Amino acid sequence: MADKEKKEKKGFRLGKSLKEFVYGMAAHDTARFALKTRGSMEHLFILITMGDMLGIPILPPYYSLRLLPYVVPQISTWKRRMLREKDFTDTLA
Amino acid sequence: MNLKGILGASPKMKYIMFGGKGGLGKTTFSAAAAYYLAQQGHKVLVFSVDPQASLSDIFQKDIFGKGAVEIMPNLFAQEINADQRIADYQAQIKKQIIDRYGFDKVPDEIESYIAAASSEPAMEESAIFDAVVDIVFTGEYDYYIYDLVPLGHALYYLSMSSIYDEWINKITELRTEMQRYDQVAARMKSESVSEEDEILRELQEIRKRINLSSSIFTDKEKTGFFFVLTPEEMTIIDTQKAGELFSKFGVPISGYVVNRVLPEKLLKETIPAYLKHRIESQREPLARIQDCFKGQVVGSVQEFERDITGLEMIRKVSDQLFGEA
Repeated sequence: MADKEKKEKKGFRLGKSLKEFVYGMAAHDTARFALKTRGSMEHLFILITMGDMLGIPILPPYYSLRLLPYVVPQISTWKRRMLREKDFTDTLA
Repeated sequence: MNLKGILGASPKMKYIMFGGKGGLGKTTFSAAAAYYLAQQGHKVLVFSVDPQASLSDIFQKDIFGKGAVEIMPNLFAQEINADQRIADYQAQIKKQIIDRYGFDKVPDEIESYIAAASSEPAMEESAIFDAVVDIVFTGEYDYYIYDLVPLGHALYYLSMSSIYDEWINKITELRTEMQRYDQVAARMKSESVSEEDEILRELQEIRKRINLSSSIFTDKEKTGFFFVLTPEEMTIIDTQKAGELFSKFGVPISGYVVNRVLPEKLLKETIPAYLKHRIESQREPLARIQDCFKGQVVGSVQEFERDITGLEMIRKVSDQLFGEA
């Protein structure tokens, strides 16, 4: 009984490792790329809704405020990204 | 057809607006139309979208920022206090931020952004725009009468709704695309698909509000839009231009109402030469009005001997406006 359970567990672990292996080989890069693009878009989104924070006039501020509560945590990374200087290492990232 | 005929023939009409240059009598006619409809047994709300509203003056009652105030049976009037509304709105946003993230207070940079955004000149107009949506959303009145801002403002108000609409479309597009990337990443990692995007939901809500107000302006059946003008050369030219602009925004114009007409019958009495000349000099502009807006002049109201304030004077205007004098 206990033996069977062990076996099953082992099989499950093997299955999981295999899944992770396949994911790492085939899909990780794609997923990483998708998340990276998603991150850039998030920043683009904040730019076109909250741009006046950086002095870029954006229409219209009234409804932007309604969206503000949802993006509060992203604002500081967004500002850092928008305002930092670029150099060649950026292309390696 | 006169104003009474138009209202009688349009049972679906629910929103009535008077537009035109400043100081020609938009507020007077708004009040008079509200008075007439209330007398007919309809429940009417007349409200001002003008930050420098004068409904309080005409009804001789301070109604500024007090919500819908009953003036007489069936007749309610409202003046929106934009500053108060902006303050409430800011407080609401801040509370939402604090509750959502369990902060003790709103972070400084967010605080200063809220303050800066609220001092933008467009903020006041937007706040009023949004307040109007709340007013018409309730739908508890038979008629809503808009006491509009002078021309330039009214056009700004209209164009704002199309700008808003485009802006919302763009960001909704971006947001939807972001959601797609989220889903791709989630699927790759064999995670369950992330929950519905709250921002997208908020955007759809904003779009709904904007569309409601702009659809009212352009609804031929539900909305009657009337231009107020006076028998003066300059006013006629400006009104023609404004009429063209309004049609460009798809606002159907239901008619033109002439105000401040000096009564011709005075000529039969002994009157000073000054007044006589004034009466004679309006003949040509009056003829021009009939010519320019052929068949679209739906009412004419005389120049009264005193300011239009108080219900008694409003009744006199209403009688002339609706052809019951």
